[in-house]
Amino acid sequence: MENTIKVERAILDLTQEDLARKIGVSRQTINSIEANRYVPSTVLALKMSALFNKPVNEFFKLSPDD
Amino acid sequence: MSAQNYMQKEQKSLMKLINFRLPRQFMIFGLIVFGLSFLLLIFREAVFGIDSLYIKEGLQKSLLVSMLIMSLTKDKEEDEMTTQLRMQSYAWAFITGVIYALVMPYVEFGVGSILNEGEETIGTLGDFRILVFMLLVQLMSYHVLKRYR
Repeated sequence: MENTIKVERAILDLTQEDLARKIGVSRQTINSIEANRYVPSTVLALKMSALFNKPVNEFFKLSPDD
Repeated sequence: MSAQNYMQKEQKSLMKLINFRLPRQFMIFGLIVFGLSFLLLIFREAVFGIDSLYIKEGLQKSLLVSMLIMSLTKDKEEDEMTTQLRMQSYAWAFITGVIYALVMPYVEFGVGSILNEGEETIGTLGDFRILVFMLLVQLMSYHVLKRYR
């Protein structure tokens, strides 16, 4: 799974800490998601979708090995 | 109550049980009890004056309870990722615990045979040793997983 959360965050001018606070997780979790070390749950993905005002599949994409 | 409602209620209470965590303050309590139990277990003869089996077993139990408390205590920042890492650490603890219980008696037998020139017999590990090992693996692997998340 690949994602463009870093880009979406930059568009809204949010730090990892800001985004973490808004969706109720730790900064380390955001860091792990951005680095593709952790795939978030559907609930978390939908929270991000609501925050970025974009559908989930615009910032989460399947990689060839998925 | 319909069957579906009953199943939903059952599932809800099961999830509640799985997600049960003690408040953060219990970590300090667990650490203190662990430290005290560990020291008393080593120096019990000097402290209590006798080497009683009851004292030894009591201290072993309090050591296990303190580790269980630390294992069940909430993290500073608890979220879905820490929950996943915690579950992963429990899985590791279970697998390594089984391997430890299976392999260790033979390792002890091998080492004992070399040291005692073949007079050793294959024994079994006590529940205390296996449980301490599993809890140690869980606590340490959770710490390592969190560090490298």
